[in-house]
Amino acid sequence: MALFRLLSSLVLSGLVLGAHALTPSHHLAASDVARLEAVLSQSFTDLQSAYYSIVGLNKLGVSVADTDEACRFLQSNVDPTSIASLFYAAEASQSLSGCEIPVSNETRDFLLAAVSEDSTISQIHNSVSTLSSLGLPLASQEVVSALTSRITKEDNVYAITLALQTAAHLSQQADLSGILEEIEDLAARLDDLGGVYLQFEEGLEATALFVTAAYALSDHVDMEPPLKEDQVIQLVNSIFSKKSWDSLSEAFSVACAAAALSNNRFHVPVIVSALGPATVSHRQPLLQLQVTNVLCDPLTSASVVVESASSVTTKSAILNQSPFSLRDGIFELNFMNSQPASGYYQFAVAVTGDSRLVANHIELKVKVSTEVVISNMDLSVVDKDQSIGTKTTRVDYPSKAKNSFVADSHQNFAMSFQLVDVNTGVELTPHQTFVRLHNQKTGQEVVFVAEPDSKNLYKFELDTAERKSEFDSISGTYALYLIVGDATLENPILWNVADVVLKFLDEEAPATVQTKTLYVPKPEIKHLFREPEKRPPTVVSNTFTALVLSPFLLLLILWIKLGANISNFSFSPSCILFHVGHAAMLGLMYVYWTHLNMFQTLKYLAILGSFTFLAGNRMLAQKAVKRIAAEQSSRLAKYRSLR
Amino acid sequence: MAASLFSVISRFLEEYTNTTPNKLKLVDAYLLYILLTGAFQFLYCLLVGTFPFNSFLSGFISCVGSFILAVCLRIQINPHNKGDFLTVSPERAFADFLFANTVLHLVVVNFIG
Repeated sequence: MALFRLLSSLVLSGLVLGAHALTPSHHLAASDVARLEAVLSQSFTDLQSAYYSIVGLNKLGVSVADTDEACRFLQSNVDPTSIASLFYAAEASQSLSGCEIPVSNETRDFLLAAVSEDSTISQIHNSVSTLSSLGLPLASQEVVSALTSRITKEDNVYAITLALQTAAHLSQQADLSGILEEIEDLAARLDDLGGVYLQFEEGLEATALFVTAAYALSDHVDMEPPLKEDQVIQLVNSIFSKKSWDSLSEAFSVACAAAALSNNRFHVPVIVSALGPATVSHRQPLLQLQVTNVLCDPLTSASVVVESASSVTTKSAILNQSPFSLRDGIFELNFMNSQPASGYYQFAVAVTGDSRLVANHIELKVKVSTEVVISNMDLSVVDKDQSIGTKTTRVDYPSKAKNSFVADSHQNFAMSFQLVDVNTGVELTPHQTFVRLHNQKTGQEVVFVAEPDSKNLYKFELDTAERKSEFDSISGTYALYLIVGDATLENPILWNVADVVLKFLDEEAPATVQTKTLYVPKPEIKHLFREPEKRPPTVVSNTFTALVLSPFLLLLILWIKLGANISNFSFSPSCILFHVGHAAMLGLMYVYWTHLNMFQTLKYLAILGSFTFLAGNRMLAQKAVKRIAAEQSSRLAKYRSLR
Repeated sequence: MAASLFSVISRFLEEYTNTTPNKLKLVDAYLLYILLTGAFQFLYCLLVGTFPFNSFLSGFISCVGSFILAVCLRIQINPHNKGDFLTVSPERAFADFLFANTVLHLVVVNFIG
């Protein structure tokens, strides 16, 4: 039983540790907040823009440039017959210190009368807010019942948001539970975009106003809003992804939302970002983090701790529960004190100190960079049969070897060196270690890779005979360069180590190297049109035409021999018409072959055919009658003769 | 062997000339004409090649189709077969022959190219 409990707690803790909470991917930087302030500081044209500017700047914690001027503007532009106008003036005057909007009894009654089921939610909101700002009494229960009945009729997002905002002004004794439920219903209408954004389809302004109203009401009744932490972060992403705003009202809504999210009783999203690139080195050993709320105010009361820092490659933990120290609003940690090897480290940072903080566990990738130094660079020319002893020359960076090395086909050129971290003395294996040979005369260059052996000693060997194809067998003096580079190195190296004279056996290559003719016009392609088929000579065609037509003559001869004649040709109209029609049809066939298409032919054929058919039908009927009469008379004659 | 074959053929020809009515002989002459035309076309195709293949096909099928239609006409107007074709008078047979030929030659001329 105890074992089972232990196991389940281990599994649970594993799940909790493994759960990757969402962190904000979009937030306002200090420059964006400054831009927001600038947008809201524009001079006001009318009462509505004055309201947006004054109240918006107040939310950002900034006051208007000239408060007296602003107050006078409000007092002169207020229109006591319009509820909206009164609302803007009253709310704006509340944000300005020492500004009063005089209100008569009539106006007060006018505002109170607006609270009814017949006014729109917008009107109810404006009048309730105005009464509340001016410190005038109002009947909260009446407002609640008016709102509840209006919510059923006006179901859109903006209206319900205004209802929530109105309820935040009411007395706490009133029954606000019905309106409080609307927060959850409205939150269900938010669209989740890719797990990153959560917003209304009506847009940014609606989402920002909803956030403002929801937190205002929740703070007022002291009940946590039904929004999960991930949802809060998704809302942050949606609202603060836009860094320049189309209209004053949009900027105002973003300012309100930012104020609501940085200062409410339940959820305060934390924004953690590194100051500059997250890189430490011996010259810059401090990892600096900016830990702020959504308005870019540093959370000086919070404590920031590295829960764990482990190397990405070796997965060994370097730090465990190390605190950051606060200096001038920036949290700092001297990472180099832990003597990390160069490379990348995965940091898990936790921000604690306030139960309201949301998204306070962050993962960060930190790079530790260092400088490299090349030591023990030894160059030598080794004979293949190893009969002659090797002569090793040591070269120190950054000087060049005094003598050049000669290697022909019987010899190998060898190079060995070590790459060492200048601060810790540890051997390094950077990503790029190349040996480049450059022929100064022909401009040819060949690059090889130097590989480390098991003891991290880099070796490079050039077998002259084997590698002659890379060099195109061109002998000559080659300048040898060593190239060392890596993302974690602060000093990449390009060092001309020595000159090497290579002698190849057979000079197969041409004297001048052919530069690749890539950009020269290519040979023209000649298109071969399809050859027409070979036709037989005209003699053959004509012969066969005559041959094919000859049986017709035979037919005529045979018919004449058989005694075919047209003596029985009756000159009745139907007969003539039939023959004419039939001849026309045959003529149409010829014309079809030479000029027409199928549709036209069918058209003519239909006309001629029906005509011929009628005539032919008549003619054949007459013939049939004649034949039957002839048969009958012959039968009668035969019968008579028999008798 | 050859002698008996020759006698069979001569006997056949004799009976043919004597017993076949004139009308049928006319149709037979027509059939022979069509046959020869088709044969000569085929010969050309064998010797010279099928270059305008569609033309060859249309000409050959014209011969074959006409032959078949003429054979049908011959069967239908043969007085011997009168019992099989009670509803079809010789005039009707001829009219059918003309109509079918028209349709055939429409297709042939379309294909001849």
